[in-house]
Amino acid sequence: MNRNLQPGIHPDADKLSVFVEGAATAREQERMLAHLAECTECRKAVFLMQPHEEVERVMATPLKGWVWRRLVPIGLPAAAIACGLIAVFIYFRPHGAAPPNPQQIASVRQPDIEHPATTIAPNTNSDRVTQSGGPQSSFAPGAAATDASRQQSRVAGRLNLPASKKRDQATAGIVPRTTGAAPSAPVTTTDGALAQNTISSTTVSELPLNGRNVANLQQLGTADTKGAASQNSLAMKKDLPALQIQRARGQGGTLAEVSGRITDRTGAVISGATVTLRDAAGTTRETTTGVDGRFHITELPAGQYELMATARGFKTSNQSVELKPSELAMLQPKLDMGAASEQVAVEASAAQEVQTESANVSQVDAGRVITEMPGADRVTTVPSGLPVAATVSHGKRFLSLDSAGNLFLSRNEGKKWKKVKPQWVGKAVRVELTPAYSSQAPPKAKNETAAAANEGAVFQLTTDTSAVWSSKDGAHWHQQ
Amino acid sequence: MDIPPANITQSQSSGAADRTAPVAMEIELGPESRRLPEMLGEELWRASGAELVEVSKAEFGGALETIGARENFGLDPEKQANERQRETFWRALHLEELAIARGCALGRESAWRRFLAQYQEPLNRAAVEMTGSAALGEELASALYSELFGLTEREGQRWSPLLRYSGRGSLMGWLRAILAQRRVNQYRKIGRETALGEIEPAAAVSEQPELERLEDLRVAIKLTLSKASAEERFLLSAYYLDQHTLHEMSRVLRVHEATVSRKLKRATERLRKHLLRTLRARGLSRRGAEEALGTDPRDVDVNLRKLLQKSEGDTIPDKEDQV
Repeated sequence: MNRNLQPGIHPDADKLSVFVEGAATAREQERMLAHLAECTECRKAVFLMQPHEEVERVMATPLKGWVWRRLVPIGLPAAAIACGLIAVFIYFRPHGAAPPNPQQIASVRQPDIEHPATTIAPNTNSDRVTQSGGPQSSFAPGAAATDASRQQSRVAGRLNLPASKKRDQATAGIVPRTTGAAPSAPVTTTDGALAQNTISSTTVSELPLNGRNVANLQQLGTADTKGAASQNSLAMKKDLPALQIQRARGQGGTLAEVSGRITDRTGAVISGATVTLRDAAGTTRETTTGVDGRFHITELPAGQYELMATARGFKTSNQSVELKPSELAMLQPKLDMGAASEQVAVEASAAQEVQTESANVSQVDAGRVITEMPGADRVTTVPSGLPVAATVSHGKRFLSLDSAGNLFLSRNEGKKWKKVKPQWVGKAVRVELTPAYSSQAPPKAKNETAAAANEGAVFQLTTDTSAVWSSKDGAHWHQQ
Repeated sequence: MDIPPANITQSQSSGAADRTAPVAMEIELGPESRRLPEMLGEELWRASGAELVEVSKAEFGGALETIGARENFGLDPEKQANERQRETFWRALHLEELAIARGCALGRESAWRRFLAQYQEPLNRAAVEMTGSAALGEELASALYSELFGLTEREGQRWSPLLRYSGRGSLMGWLRAILAQRRVNQYRKIGRETALGEIEPAAAVSEQPELERLEDLRVAIKLTLSKASAEERFLLSAYYLDQHTLHEMSRVLRVHEATVSRKLKRATERLRKHLLRTLRARGLSRRGAEEALGTDPRDVDVNLRKLLQKSEGDTIPDKEDQV
């Protein structure tokens, strides 16, 4: 067949393909062109060899471009208007919708009025409990309910939530009683102590929500005395975590968020506490509370989570959280002083959250709690790639010191790091956060507003020559 | 294609000589210089995956040497490739595709499996594209398959055109080329009768009183065309004779359409000037010459087509007669 093409004269398929693919040398190209100029067959073959689809594509493209060009006069203003609308929408929406943010929620949680400034022996505690337990003699679920609604309205008032919202919460059966019980703590101590009395005297089943919790605790019956146990229950009454699951209106997607504040029994915030969220599959998300004790974990798929809060010198607190799509769960786990090894895990109840407490109350060193940052435990990566020696945070500002003594500052909660230019001589060996007020200041004052604590905090840096430098923003340092 | 052991040792020793005295090697000419150094052969054989298609190292090395000799390592025929040039040439080949082609030509089962897996579908598609009909395309492709499979015999041996694949271009490109050639052959066979009918009305239209002038032109154009570059001649014939679009031509030459247009315009202008000069040299007045070519550019086009056709009608049979 191919003898028709006169192999001696016509280039063979190999030569043709080399020519068409541009792999031919200049001389071959020249010879091929010379042949093609005179040979109709080979010319035909060369043109036949060109793949088809490219033609279609090339022909389609200018047409498309032409259509687009026609749309430009309409499209450009339309795009500009759309951008404007989006900008306006973004600007106004937060003001109008007032989505609950952690700060507002946190402000609801008032600290305990009575803060044990010194070590309180279990006995003393129990005494106090019985003393304060006097005025009110009955605690029934109904009473708790009214309490709850009262407290809810308080919460709602602070949150600027509409009444219907609050009703939703109550009727949705999320944690009406818990919510009610928790805010009851700040009202009066007697209230709390009273409730405690009732708890210990009434049957567990009467407590609609935390019955199992209490039962567990009672079963646990650690080395605590009865007084301590009651103090624990009191604490539970007072400190029941407020798990408020609210619609995060800002989120259109299916991801939920958890935010909250970690405090100790006295209500003093715990900074640097590690908060771990473990989902059913065992995947964990970890974060560390800031100087105000707050944490915030975003972009969580809906589902059941186990929340674990640990801090140095405190017991680990476990808590189950069920997150629904687009929900923002506000938690306020409280930690107890004690060995970190003591863990009390409590199953989640139908009401979706349970607070676990143990009954080890002792003095809370507020100053220490505030300044102690377990930086080594933090999962932080700094641009140097070296292990992080210490991390302190102040609001959204994170300051990390790596093992080489480089200091990194992040203004957005560790998302983006920037190296701080050393203004000091020598190597930075320690970085810490010092509250502006002394540690002797009553924790109550400190907890009045978290913002106050924020404003007062100062970063401190110690160099290897023992010079102490301080900075308010983490970027500008001056020697003390 | 197997290399006798003696040759291998030779190539080894020459390879050693290369390393010690490369200058001496470059001077040394002859078939020895086409040998594939064993280490390179081994490396290329591994890189090509020839093992997977049951092509032995010796077979593959032999193929590389044959191709190197046939293509003169991509150099002009009068030049002698040095060691580096040879190595560059061998390394630049489409080794994997070459291995498949060789394996197929040698009738290796695994090579055919790979070939069919990789090329059957695109080949059928290309055949359908070329013929413009599914039935014709399939026919063309299956005819090519049987040919590739070595059903044709040459000198008593099964012979597959795949042996001619050098690996310089892609195997798919080569397949397209051979397919296109078969298609042209087919077309020519069938077209002998039908195509004439298509041509004749056009020829009838071109029958005009100035035929004798065209006769003059024909000679002039032959002269002129012989002076034009190969590329210009290709452009002129593709455009005026085959009436391909600028776009099609730009794809064949892998340049932009605008470049083709510019080159074509320049070629046409030069041709016209040349023709005018030639015609005047042959005794025509300037006006007469212009009239012969046509003042209207479109006339020039039409005339050029006719002229090229005529001149071509002369050249092609010449070539064919030479065989």
